[in-house]
Amino acid sequence: MANRFDKTKEVKVDYTRFVVPFGPVHPALKEPISLKVTIRKEEILNVDIRLGHVHRGIEALAENRNLVQTLYLVERICGICSHSHTTCFIQALEEIGEIIPSERALYLRTLIFELERMHSHLFLLGIMAYEVGFDTLFMFAWHVRETVLDLFEEITGNRIHHSMNAIGGVRWDLPPNLAEKVNDSLKKIEKSVKYIQEVFQDKTVEKRLCGVGVLSFNEAHELCVVGPTARGSGVNMDIRRDRPYAAYDELKENFSVVLRDSADAYARTEVRTFELLESINLIRTILDKLPNGPISKEESILKLMKKIPEGETVSTVEAPRGELLYFVKTNGKEGLWRLKVRTPTIPNVLGLKPMLIGSEIADIPVTVASIDPCMACANRITVVDQDKGEKKVVNCENLRRRGKKQ
Amino acid sequence: MNTIMMLLITFPLVFFLSLLFEGVDRKIHARMQKRIGPPIIQPFYDFIKLFSKERIVPVTASSRIFTAVPMIAAAASIVGAAIPIASLILEIGIGGDLILILYLLTMSSVMVMIGGSSSGNPYGAVGFSRKMTMLIAYDVPMLISILSVSFNCLSLAYYNIVSTQVGMKSLLAFARPSMAVAAATFLLCIPAAADAVPFDISEAKTEIIHGSMVEYGGPYLALVKLAKAASNFGLTFLATTLFFYFPALLEGYASVGLGALCLCLVPALILLLLTITVPRTVFARLKIGQAFKFYWLSPLALSIISVALSTLGF
Amino acid sequence: MDVAKRSRIKSPWLFHLNTGSCAGCDIEVVAALTPRYDVERLGCVLVGSPRHADVLLVTGPVTRQMLPRVIRVYEQIPEPKTVVAIGSCATSGSPFIGSQMIEGPPDKIIPVDVYVGGCPPRPEAIVKGIVTAAKSKFG
Repeated sequence: MANRFDKTKEVKVDYTRFVVPFGPVHPALKEPISLKVTIRKEEILNVDIRLGHVHRGIEALAENRNLVQTLYLVERICGICSHSHTTCFIQALEEIGEIIPSERALYLRTLIFELERMHSHLFLLGIMAYEVGFDTLFMFAWHVRETVLDLFEEITGNRIHHSMNAIGGVRWDLPPNLAEKVNDSLKKIEKSVKYIQEVFQDKTVEKRLCGVGVLSFNEAHELCVVGPTARGSGVNMDIRRDRPYAAYDELKENFSVVLRDSADAYARTEVRTFELLESINLIRTILDKLPNGPISKEESILKLMKKIPEGETVSTVEAPRGELLYFVKTNGKEGLWRLKVRTPTIPNVLGLKPMLIGSEIADIPVTVASIDPCMACANRITVVDQDKGEKKVVNCENLRRRGKKQ
Repeated sequence: MNTIMMLLITFPLVFFLSLLFEGVDRKIHARMQKRIGPPIIQPFYDFIKLFSKERIVPVTASSRIFTAVPMIAAAASIVGAAIPIASLILEIGIGGDLILILYLLTMSSVMVMIGGSSSGNPYGAVGFSRKMTMLIAYDVPMLISILSVSFNCLSLAYYNIVSTQVGMKSLLAFARPSMAVAAATFLLCIPAAADAVPFDISEAKTEIIHGSMVEYGGPYLALVKLAKAASNFGLTFLATTLFFYFPALLEGYASVGLGALCLCLVPALILLLLTITVPRTVFARLKIGQAFKFYWLSPLALSIISVALSTLGF
Repeated sequence: MDVAKRSRIKSPWLFHLNTGSCAGCDIEVVAALTPRYDVERLGCVLVGSPRHADVLLVTGPVTRQMLPRVIRVYEQIPEPKTVVAIGSCATSGSPFIGSQMIEGPPDKIIPVDVYVGGCPPRPEAIVKGIVTAAKSKFG
């Protein structure tokens, strides 16, 4: 009679591989993301990405609040791109309610939008420098960024979470002396940005950024990455030019879309530094062309809110990280049936896996920073199993598998 | 009796000077970044604060090695930095003490590396492998340049090399071409030995969370940081007195002894600023492969040229 | 005041923990290191490992996935330690109160010593919070 313990199985243990957890609590990441990286010596063999640490249930909360309360909730999805979220939401509401804001309000919205793009790109340039160990450039870039935050404070009253948008217009006006100040600050910022561009061409920085985190044009197209991550790989997409919103319709000739072909972290950084210069020119044009007029509607916000009927729409904007998409379905009673947010970080994070496999541990912070992840934006995925009535948060692997099945 | 009293003074002196040098390094680094920076005596506050914290030994660590390593590292560094100072004050040289100094200063880095790997943390293991690679990279050119110095002065005793400079009334680095090359090599190896950017790969904060030091806290961390500070001080003091012994240019009694020692401290500080603080501020961190390639190209070539020139008599 | 207490006040080392915030407070914490506000002149250093830290800066309402990590990081910090809750989310959880994904503001889980309010608070307020925590807890 054969004893079941007679069967010996040859188990091959590969002692050369081990799994290094990267996050969610890590000094390189200001926001929680969990990467489990399988390495051999210093080479990365596999990456397991897990989101969901910042999932706060915002879409569920939005269903119980009225439109103005949701506006303040939506602003706090992300601290770095908060104006993009509010603009997208307000545009959706204005489309459903057929409220047309005045010209001056649209121009002011665009002004704050471009200022926010500048602050976000300077933030990222500093963080890229910090990841490669170049503390001095980090300090310098963030020092320049303080000038932009000063402008925010003068115009809107707060450095972050400006709350500039309201239904039908904006809340704060731009008097002529402030416009002068903006122009003066732009000159200083332009000089500093050109200096930062030079420093990024330094030998030690180039060695860390060139050839790192390569995402080819085909991969970028298949994974549908957006924003500077896509433009760094040669994919020509920019919502400001393709589907213009706010005042971008009239400003089409005043800015150009920055594209690069080399598809590595250096290309993405270059795209962002040139976009900074484009934003500076765009702001100068906006200040020149600013039309006169009221900044908000004559009716009060409550009346406007009551006017919004039941309806649904999709609205998109070009946030600093890429295309931001909102699906809003109002219920005609000052509330929402459904709010769905698809932020640019969600497709960009999927691009991490082909970028990281084959590179070294030292490349992980640089690659993760080069896609400019905003984890607070990206934790919106919930799957409700209607038969069992349970909710679970799905990670990227499962999503991709489901997508392939369909 | 005199000797014992000298020894009792030297160890606290090394402790005090190494933490002071670290304070100046941090202050100048901050000023170069347009910031104010901490006061110069900040490392003393850090040291005392760390000693008053709780002692934690992780469950996954082999506790005997984990707790013994900081003490051995600190002791090795302090003794390694104290030998040149005592040698200068007492004016004696023992054959072979140059090799002993370098051995002790390197041993403290090796000890920290072993401590990191004994902690049971995967980041410690990565720090161990990186530091091992860096040691192979920078130690070879450093030792070859020291060998070339000893070929030239025909002695391995530290004090004899210093008194050769006094005898020649010139700095060793400017005396002969081979010595200039040896000085350049040694100075190029100091940033890697001191774990300063661009070569702080084994202690990268943003990549592997401080590498070997990730699980050390409280008194153990205080001793590890003291070991590093003393090793930096020892290396820069050694480089200054071996290659740039300024009191040799003065006459008579000022050339050796306690007075000459005080005169060497300011050049040692300036050397520390040039080789550790300035690269730390101005460069980004390299990857391990790039750093290895760098050290096995130029510094190694320079050190071999230096040995060749000194055997030929230049 | 004896030497040990003075040293603890003069060198508080910070560890920054994001428990699910929108990153507004986090960028203000990192902005406190930049040349305009420069928290390093007070001896503070942003360390990477909780074992090296004295002051834990918590931002964000604690989401369900971050709950075990918050407890683990708090236990890894050696005594004496202090916790500073930064921002409205860490103080009271607003505006996410009522969500099922939030385990409550951090003071339901770990003992908090100083609350710094604001959405987000200015870097100067954060620096004052750190100094108050160090002086009251270690002094």
